[in-house]
Amino acid sequence: MLALLASTFATVFLAELGDKTQLAIVSISGTSDRPGAVFAGSAFALVLASLVGAAAGGSLSSVIPTEALQLAASVGFILLGTRLILRSRGAEAGEEPTDP
Amino acid sequence: MTAPSDSRDASPSTASEALVDGGSAPEQAAAGWGAVFLTTATTVFLAELGDKTQLAALLLSAQSGRPAVVFLGASLALVSSSLVGVLLGRWLSRVMPAHQLERSAGVVMLALGLWLGRQAVLQGGLPSLPLG
Repeated sequence: MLALLASTFATVFLAELGDKTQLAIVSISGTSDRPGAVFAGSAFALVLASLVGAAAGGSLSSVIPTEALQLAASVGFILLGTRLILRSRGAEAGEEPTDP
Repeated sequence: MTAPSDSRDASPSTASEALVDGGSAPEQAAAGWGAVFLTTATTVFLAELGDKTQLAALLLSAQSGRPAVVFLGASLALVSSSLVGVLLGRWLSRVMPAHQLERSAGVVMLALGLWLGRQAVLQGGLPSLPLG
């Protein structure tokens, strides 16, 4: 029981390090001034996703159109990314950055 | 609001305002706790479904027959990893100028978006996907 817990933890934690989700969390957290909300939101979403996964067992991809969801996520990422880039350009033009 | 922290810029007012104001996008600064929570949760949830983490969880729960333990372990790991991500982001926002970090984060997100989109399209065509 403890061994299974530990092996699950290790597997998932290692799989998640440097994963796209964590990159996204780093990006959101770095550019937002509400780290608490980012942490709560990402932790909630990850737990929910794994709950769905554990509950659905092997039949997940037949229940949920994962490609469509990933496509939606990709559109979301592209929108967020574009907005951040535009914002950084606006900030740059507005205030003359002092590069070291 | 723990970070009016990039005090490395010479001009104190513009540096902290850039972080809060985002220069030209006050709607981001005005975004409340709930909005940030929802945005993050939606993005992460959508991106994570069908991901390799889940596949690992599926495999383990299928092998062990104890989905509750697997779920607990996976949840702890995911919460830890998102804590690591948040702390890393806070640290970056301290050591990098705000506009530079925003640009890098934007590029990262665009790349992730394109990669996810490509994966979704490929996945739609292929019956199975390797556990990578």
